[in-house]
Order: sequence, then C-alpha cells, then structure tokens
Amino acid sequence: MLKLNNIEVTYLNVIRVLHGVSLSVEDGAIVTLLGANGAGKSTTLKAISGLLHIEEGEVTDGTIEWNGERIDKKSAEEIGKLGIIQALEGRRVFGHLTAEENLMVGAYHRSDHRAVKRDLEMVYHYFPRLKMLRHNIAGYLSGGEQQMLVIGRAMMAAPKLMMLDEPSLGLAPLLVEEIYDIINRFNIEQKTSVLLVEQNVRIALSIAHYGYVMENGRIVLDGSAEFLKNNEDVKEFYMGLSAMGAKKSYREVKHYKRRKRWL
Amino acid sequence: MAELLQFTITGIAVGMVYALIALGFVLIWKSSGVANLALGQIVLLSSWFTYAMLVQAEFPLWLAFLLVILFALGLGWMIERFALRPLIAQPILALITVTLGIGYFIEGVVIFIWPWSVDALPRLFPREVLHIGPAVVSQEYVWVVGICLLVFALLTLFFRYHKMGIAMRATADDQMAVQACGIPVTTVFSRSWMFACVVAAIGGILISSIGGITQGLIETGLKAFSVVILGGLDSFLGAIVAGPIIGLAESLGGGYLTPYLWAGVKDIIPFIIIIIVMIIKPYGLFGEVRIERI
Repeated sequence: MLKLNNIEVTYLNVIRVLHGVSLSVEDGAIVTLLGANGAGKSTTLKAISGLLHIEEGEVTDGTIEWNGERIDKKSAEEIGKLGIIQALEGRRVFGHLTAEENLMVGAYHRSDHRAVKRDLEMVYHYFPRLKMLRHNIAGYLSGGEQQMLVIGRAMMAAPKLMMLDEPSLGLAPLLVEEIYDIINRFNIEQKTSVLLVEQNVRIALSIAHYGYVMENGRIVLDGSAEFLKNNEDVKEFYMGLSAMGAKKSYREVKHYKRRKRWL
Repeated sequence: MAELLQFTITGIAVGMVYALIALGFVLIWKSSGVANLALGQIVLLSSWFTYAMLVQAEFPLWLAFLLVILFALGLGWMIERFALRPLIAQPILALITVTLGIGYFIEGVVIFIWPWSVDALPRLFPREVLHIGPAVVSQEYVWVVGICLLVFALLTLFFRYHKMGIAMRATADDQMAVQACGIPVTTVFSRSWMFACVVAAIGGILISSIGGITQGLIETGLKAFSVVILGGLDSFLGAIVAGPIIGLAESLGGGYLTPYLWAGVKDIIPFIIIIIVMIIKPYGLFGEVRIERI
C-alpha cells in the first residue's frame, strides 16, 4: 500500500508546486488523480517514483510510504526495484529500438529469464498488436501503438504499483477505450495496483475505484469513483455537464460563475 | 599493381584500427552525449601500459593482455566516476572540456613514467610475409584485421542481445525514460566509458605493435575523430565503414603523393576529408536520422 502524507515538493529550492498532498493507494486498487494542466499531478507521480531528483525537485516536507517503509529519500532505481514503476507522459518509447527491445528494457532488473519470457507473452496477450509489430522500430509505430508499448514496458517490470501518466493523451476515443479496457483487465487479472493520472475524467472514472481531484498543488476533493461521477462540481467543471446532466452551453453561464472556488 | 595492392591492404588494416578506436568515441557519445577528447591519450597510455607489462614486467602475453584489459576497464571507470559524474546535469560543454583536461593529464603522466617517449612493443604476431598475388604483405596486418573484425562482431552481439547493451542504446534515446524503468543511467555511463577504454586499448596495442609506441599515438585519436565525423557521430556501422576509408585514403594518398609533395602529406589527408565531409554531409555518412513521425 502506498501512502502519501502531506507532501510538499519544491523545484530548485524555490518553486513550491505541491502544498501538502495526501493520498493512498490500496493494494489491488485503481486510483485516479484528476485535474487540469499544471495542477501537480505529474509532479506527484515523480515524487513517488523518485524521478523528481533528476529535475532538481525535492520532497521538502511530508512522507511517502510504501508498505510502511519510507521511500521519499530513495533513488529512482531503488524505488523501481521495490516494484513501483512509472510510465511517463507523452509516449516516451526508445525510438531506435525495436518494440520487443523496448519491452525488454522494462525487464532490466529481473534475472529470472523464464518469468521474463512468460511476462513477455503476457504483454503480447494483452496487446496482440505489439506481437505483430515486435520487430518494428518503435519510433515509427503509431501513437496508439507507442502508448501500448509504454504501458507494456511498465508491465514487463512485474510492477506491484503501476503509475500511468495520461495514457489517453492525443489518442482517438476508440483507442483510448481499448487501452483503458486493457488496463482494467490487467488490474483485475494480475492484482497490480494502478495509480492513474488523467485529464480525461470520464474514462478514468469508468475504471477507477477511487479518485482524487487536484488543483494548484492541493487535493481539493476525493471520494469513490461513484461519488465523483455524481458530484455536481466534478460534473460541471471536469465533464462539462450541467446539473441536469445535459450538455452545458457556455453561453448561458455568467463568466464569473464558471470558475469554481474550492476553499 | 603490387604497390597498389600493398597500399590497399595496409590502408584497410590501419583503417580498421582507427575504426576500433572510433568505436570508443561513438560508445560514449551515444550513451551520454559527451565527446571524449582524451581518446588519443587513452590509446597512448594503454600502449605504454602494455609495454610495461610485456617488456618491463616480462609477463607472458596472455597475462599481460588480461592485465591491460583490466587496466582499461579501471581507467574508464575512474574517469567516469571521479571526473564526469560530479558534473552530471552541468552543461555538456563543461564535460567535454573536462575530457580535454583528462587528455593532458594522461599525457603528463605518460611522460613522467616513460620519459624516453619512443619504444617498440615486442612482436605480437608472426612477421613472415604473405604473398597475395604480386603483393608482399606482412602477416601482422592480416592478424590486425582479424582481431578488429572479432571485436566488431562481439560488440554488435553485445548491443543487440545483452540487456546492458540494449539499455545503453535506450539511454541514447531517452535518459529520463530509462530512469523511469529503474535503470541507473550512471551505471550505463560508467559501462560505456569502461568499454570505450577497452576498445581504445585494443586499438592501441594493435597499432603500436605495428608502428611502435610514440607520442604520435595521440594523433590516432584525432584520426579516430575524422573516422567518426565521416561515419556519423552516433553510428557504429558508420565508424566501421569510415575507418577503412580513412585508412585507405591515408595509405594510398601517402603512398602515391609523397614522392611529389612532402613526407608528411599522409597525415593531413584525414583532416582534408573531415573538412570536405563537414561541408557536404555534416551528419556523416551514417549519422542517425532523428525519427520524427508527422
């Protein structure tokens, strides 16, 4: 179980971007972190995975615990070995490697060849298209295929917690549904916890069990997926629906009413 | 005719060694983006170390060779660990300048330990001449070509199938994503320096077994640069193809032009090639095309 206790994150010792974020991910759950651009979602993920150090960021206050052990001072490598794997935003495949080599990089730390081979088959089972493309150069794959590859690469690490940063970014709606379906199946079948950062609230809440809404480096709302789906504010500000459930016409809203003030 | 064949064979052999040394450059450039300007000095130092093992300590060949490889691994590890790692996240120019400094440092150490600065390695390969058609060629050139091809093959297999090799190529593509996979890039950098020093050392042994050890070995580093620039900074294949081209140009040009021009003409040919390549094809023959989907 992952637990963030009131963490603050500061970049370059000056710019504070998270002001006390607390959240937890139960074993086997899908938890989603929602919010607009610049809310601090990706920073939260990087704080967990240890990638913050590379960007001159630092957890200056609060604690991050994984199964009771503090991990906020650990390096990305150590955290990866604990089974917390982050798939970065923006389909960062290794462009000059083949699809299969990309997947094998994900399994770098594992020495049990038989298990790695089995997991490779497992990834191909979830993403049959990758199996057909396995000898193709990753840089030339389509956007959806690259996103599948990035998720598959995270799966290859045999993660206990898989963190996905906007897997729907820039993909066609059908493809988004396909990918979310696979994430959901993976979670159910492999019992891997998933922490999902999304801007596409509707699709994220369709598979998540619990969700947090972030704004300006703070968590402003949290609850079960059902609760969030039916919450008027979430509906209005993140799904673009009015209280009646109909599509909202922005012409009717007074400009000053559009922005929700949470505190 | 005999002359032509002879120039060709020596050219290819020497060019292969340049290619080998150039691989040391490409390795580091590809994984960390640092241009290693100390290459020639590393070649020089490892040649002298081989001399120390074979001539001064009188170890048998296999032991000496093993120790040289270990020495090169250690050298690469030390350079990365103590000179470059503290500079991670600094501007790349700073790192390149540091390699320049390392080069001069090594040169100073070499002059300090072996002040006579010219010597010969004992013969490593049989020197009976081979008759290839009308040409008469020393057998050692054939050995040199063989060893170079063997090292190329090993490196190719390593980069294709070994997980460290794949991780090194991945690092060249996206350092951040490699770290997200839980792979420490510092280890990748360290390994690439170690490997680079080993191939440079092997290149150094080969070339000094033919031509002896002189301060001129530093220039082989410069010639390796011309190989790299001709072949493309980030291309292994480029280095392997461009090496023999530079070697041939040097040996043919040197062989045929020296009587008409002056004795050192051979040494400037690689640099003339660099200038021409820079004008016509600045990314080199095989420089990696950035994959960009539109």
